[in-house]
Amino acid sequence: MTRPLQSGFARRLLQISLLGLAFFMVGCATQAPRDMSAFERAKPRSILVVPVVNRSLDVAAPNYVLSTLSVPVAEKGYYVFPVNTTKVVLEQEGLYEGDKIHEQPPAQLAKLFGADAVLYVRINQWDAKYAVLTTVVTVDFDYWMTGKDGEVLWKERKRMQYQPNNNNAGVSPMAQLLTQVISAAVARAAPNYMPLTRQANEEVFILGPSAIPDGPYRMKAAQK
Amino acid sequence: MNPIRLSRKPRRVVLLLAVVASLGMGGCASNRLYQWGDYEDNLYAAYKDTTKSEALRLKLEAHIQAMEKAGQKVAPGLYAEVGTLYLQAGQRKTAMGWYQRERAAWPESTQLMTSMIQNLERLEAAK
Repeated sequence: MTRPLQSGFARRLLQISLLGLAFFMVGCATQAPRDMSAFERAKPRSILVVPVVNRSLDVAAPNYVLSTLSVPVAEKGYYVFPVNTTKVVLEQEGLYEGDKIHEQPPAQLAKLFGADAVLYVRINQWDAKYAVLTTVVTVDFDYWMTGKDGEVLWKERKRMQYQPNNNNAGVSPMAQLLTQVISAAVARAAPNYMPLTRQANEEVFILGPSAIPDGPYRMKAAQK
Repeated sequence: MNPIRLSRKPRRVVLLLAVVASLGMGGCASNRLYQWGDYEDNLYAAYKDTTKSEALRLKLEAHIQAMEKAGQKVAPGLYAEVGTLYLQAGQRKTAMGWYQRERAAWPESTQLMTSMIQNLERLEAAK
């Protein structure tokens, strides 16, 4: 009695996963440029980067991520408010946690600092998964920007993974095994999140289909 | 199985990564608007270990001095970051000077810098 039901379920599961896969592949194939009209209408000159919200288990992650955000955004041609100064000012206002800051009305934050836009980042994942021989380091961020009136100007999500080692052609299997053990141990001792985070930022702000338009200082430099 | 081979391996990987990284950066290095003088790395280090915040300040100051000497624009926010590090060390007057320099360099910072300077002036006057 239960067998047809089970196989029907299995077939449906297969169908759904195939469909999902197809969607995924389409997503990869056609990376249409995003609609930047809200951003272009707002024409921000200055961007306030507020402390990061953390959904990972690593309490240090938000500060680490915060330290990587000024350069890519400023190099895009915007005035970026100094991130550590911003953090200290918010602390003096009694706002210590990223969560608390993200709960504030965005328009009010922009007004407090005199910023044209506010950039928010949330860490969804920041971890290293250990198997016996390999380690996979994963970072996953949500980014979004709001304008002076609190309207969303832009958003993007980025997930990056890094798996150290492998491909040791020509090396004896035993040496290869040892190298893997060593590199897994190295990654375990100090998982290298920072290059991965910088790469995520670079793709999001500069290289990817969601890249923000050039800001006033970049345009000025191009005219020279 | 000889140990030399094993110890060489990570070095080769590092070298390869460095080459890839420099190639990647080559694309944008010529295209950079500013020099940052390891601001990100030093800020990261200071967040990782709070005893390094003075080192962050000293490195930023040295970088700014080098930029000014070379007649180059100092990247946005750096003057103010130095100011805040002085503020956290309890040196309000010095902090104000740095906030004034940020304001003079970047008109977008005017509102924030002015209100911070005014706040500090009030605190100094109440002393």
